[in-house]
Amino acid sequence: MATTRGAQEALLEVVDLRTHFATADGLVRAVDGVSLRIRPGKTLGVVGESGCGKSITALSIMRLIERPGRIVSGSITFDGQDLLRLPEDEMRNIRGNEISMIFQEPMTSLNPVYTCGDQIAEAVSRHGSLTQREAAARAVEMLEQVGIPDAKRRAGEHPHQLSGGMRQRVMIAMALSTNPQLLIADEPTTALDVTIQAQILELMKALRERNGMAIMLITHDLGVVAEMSDDVSVMYAGKVVESSDAITVYDRPHHPYTKGLLASIPRMGARRERLDVIKGVVPNPLNLPSGCLFKRRCPYAMPICDNAPPLRLVAEGHVSRCWLAPDGGRPELGEAPSAAEAEAAALTLTVANP
Amino acid sequence: MTETRAPNTLTPSSPAVAPGVAGAVAPDTLLRVDNLVKHFEIRGGLLGMSRVGAVKAVDGVSFSVRRGEALGLVGESGCGKTTLGKVILRLLPATSGRVEMDGQVLFDIPARGEPRRRPVYASNEAMKKVRQNMQVVFQDPYASLNPRMSVGELVGEGPLVHGMTDKKEREALVRDMLGRVGLNQSHIHRYPHEFSGGQRQRIGIARALALHPAFIVCDEPVSALDVSIQSQVLNLLNDLQAELGLTYLFIAHNLAVVEHISDRVGVMYLGKLVEMANVDDIYANPRHPYTVALLSAVPEPDPHRRKKRIILKGDIPSPANPPSGCRFHTRCWLREQLGRPERCTTEEPVLRALGSGQESACHFAEEISPEAVASAVASSGPTVTAEP
Repeated sequence: MATTRGAQEALLEVVDLRTHFATADGLVRAVDGVSLRIRPGKTLGVVGESGCGKSITALSIMRLIERPGRIVSGSITFDGQDLLRLPEDEMRNIRGNEISMIFQEPMTSLNPVYTCGDQIAEAVSRHGSLTQREAAARAVEMLEQVGIPDAKRRAGEHPHQLSGGMRQRVMIAMALSTNPQLLIADEPTTALDVTIQAQILELMKALRERNGMAIMLITHDLGVVAEMSDDVSVMYAGKVVESSDAITVYDRPHHPYTKGLLASIPRMGARRERLDVIKGVVPNPLNLPSGCLFKRRCPYAMPICDNAPPLRLVAEGHVSRCWLAPDGGRPELGEAPSAAEAEAAALTLTVANP
Repeated sequence: MTETRAPNTLTPSSPAVAPGVAGAVAPDTLLRVDNLVKHFEIRGGLLGMSRVGAVKAVDGVSFSVRRGEALGLVGESGCGKTTLGKVILRLLPATSGRVEMDGQVLFDIPARGEPRRRPVYASNEAMKKVRQNMQVVFQDPYASLNPRMSVGELVGEGPLVHGMTDKKEREALVRDMLGRVGLNQSHIHRYPHEFSGGQRQRIGIARALALHPAFIVCDEPVSALDVSIQSQVLNLLNDLQAELGLTYLFIAHNLAVVEHISDRVGVMYLGKLVEMANVDDIYANPRHPYTVALLSAVPEPDPHRRKKRIILKGDIPSPANPPSGCRFHTRCWLREQLGRPERCTTEEPVLRALGSGQESACHFAEEISPEAVASAVASSGPTVTAEP
């Protein structure tokens, strides 16, 4: 997959990441074969429904997985270094300095007993050699940059004195205070109202342009992804099922899950009598089907789907975890091939690595 | 809390539940809401004895819902849409105003400044009848179902209370309801935790339907659900409406969802209805600057249509202390364009009919044109200020 997106080097490349949780009820493979690529200065949208593993992927990149969770295998290459092999003190330098993260609920990610200014100043001084006074001045400057009016006064306020949109601006100010190369934004606008969401998205766009940073934008909202992303990866049940540039994913989706999602959302200005639906529900992570994880809900399900499909190259820079032919038609396998036949046929189809 | 005592039984002048013969009300009107007000008192001082203010959650809202239609109600958090639904259902006591449902007045409480008269409340017996006819589906299917009751008990509870069935017949009735909402009838003895979010919302819908109501308040019924499940539930609500002739008050913040389900749409801002129109008109041709901005703010799921938006400045003001005059004037782009006319800050606009059949509560609704909107979009710069 590394060579399929043109010559441009990746800033972050995740290959076949697996993060599993040993729970009392059994092993949950929350992330089970995720490969992602983020180009420098570009935005990757990671879409998926709750439980698909998108947040765990982000936490794995930051190496913030706690027991009973464990990164089982895979590699995460950031700027030439494999993050999974770094000692913890070097990782702490990357975290915050090079890669920052903002979360969905700003109220629970801010410390209620410190002022906003102190929290940003703490982030600044932890990752640089500034005096207290300089750090405090930098905090006010950051609050101004994210469009908080009367920043000096706001810096002295506690999180509960701010609205949801203001709190998210404080989170962004804190995340950007160290000029990171990559910002991981996990559902940054989900808790916000639509007019406030528009403010925050506009702010993220402007800051992205000015700082030249890359963004990994995790969301379930297909509108937000379309608005912000250069590239899109779609996740389902712990795996990436489709990746390409945003235009391709929205115009020519290959994976039946992506197709189903795009067809099922109501769109403004395009009223329909009925919405298309994806039948059934997301499979229980403790009891995943064998083979393709989407087959029970898939309108195209075929016998070959009992074999787990790899990520296959269906066009230049476009990969899909599905047995369908690159043009979306059914592969020529005959009516009901035996498992052995299917396996053999599978190998002859173009397969992207990994 | 006066009305819990139900001091005054309704006079039988309006014949109880006689559809189609309710006096001045248009014959096809099912629900009529007049000047509804709900203030939550803020108490302070020693031991919280004194009244220091009020959150004006709903502040003078009037509209009616025709039989068989779906009226959508949109607005951002804190605009009062959920409170409005609860007050209509009498799940919360109103401060003042009048609500009439299917010819039965639920309450009629004089507002401040109106000539003094005794408030009117429907009697407990009358309310029991009305409650059977109006039901609610809540947002959170995890919190709104009692975890200690089986599906059969949850769905069958209402009919049992209303004497519509006995314990023997209940199971058949519940099975019928489960079938209607697309649940497996053999799951009747299971408990809520055994179901997914979408299935729980179906249980919530079955529970509402079990009483054969004419009117259902749907309060954010799909916003807690995953995208692929939302469409299943929206289709179900559509099918049930067509099949059973239901009337919906559909409360949601997602504008695309509201457009999909509604025949007419009302937009709320800080406790007031600011615009009301047929769904096609309001989405194609909004006549209130807030509606224009709200529609402009929605990101579309199409990377070809990344649009410049109208970015409203600032946050929604507190409903405890709403701005004077027009409540939207502190964030209004149209007011800026018109050179900040004083009228917006001094005179409160009322919802008025425009020539197009739409209703808007803006003094300058006629000034909204494609050119005005385009210029507002152009002047909406990003909110970033200083250089690093």
